[in-house]
Amino acid sequence: MTQAQANADVSVEHPQVGGRFADAAINAGDVLSFPEGLPGYETARAFVLIEIPEQAPLKMLHAVNGSDVCFLVVDPKSVLAAYRCELTAADRIRLGASDDSTLLWLAIVMVGQDGEVAVNLRAPIVINPARMTGRQVMPNNCVYPLRHVIGTD
Amino acid sequence: MLVFTRRRHETIMIGDGIEVRVLRVGRDGVRLGIVAPADVPVHRQEVYDQIREANRSAADTSHPIAAIAERLRRRQ
Repeated sequence: MTQAQANADVSVEHPQVGGRFADAAINAGDVLSFPEGLPGYETARAFVLIEIPEQAPLKMLHAVNGSDVCFLVVDPKSVLAAYRCELTAADRIRLGASDDSTLLWLAIVMVGQDGEVAVNLRAPIVINPARMTGRQVMPNNCVYPLRHVIGTD
Repeated sequence: MLVFTRRRHETIMIGDGIEVRVLRVGRDGVRLGIVAPADVPVHRQEVYDQIREANRSAADTSHPIAAIAERLRRRQ
């Protein structure tokens, strides 16, 4: 899929966020294209990253245009300071990323039935801000667990 | 589903650039070699399934966001 096709999938004129963030002010330029969706949510192709200062370092990756899918995400380096993974060639090409230093890495936060809070360090979301595109990746030589437990609430 | 019989060192071509070669046939498994264009991700199905399950358990807007944020801040 080309970048132009990916963007065509996103209704950029009037992006809408539902759910508990329905009041959040979203600009068309804030919409991130996920051309393949995310595993389990393949049809959610457009997201916005919502940052609320009181909730730092958490951010919300919320689908727009009709889907209420929302992920809590966090910079994996704020969970493990030494966190570092290397993108596969396929992921780098699909993100259109020539310079890794400009990429934004986000780990999805999971809350179990028992209140256990874990962070997915194995399959992070990587966003290329220069192209406003993102995908969930499985990096090479990534030794981190799918569920890195950080405690129980 | 297309079904082929292949012997060791035989190959299946998918499209223009994807090659699946049978490297070894054992009692419990088949070792495959995959050649694919650089922009085609290749993963084991079970890894994808695990990530899908993790995502489904994560996509819930009822999480106690403030408590989780506080926990993360305390770690920093």
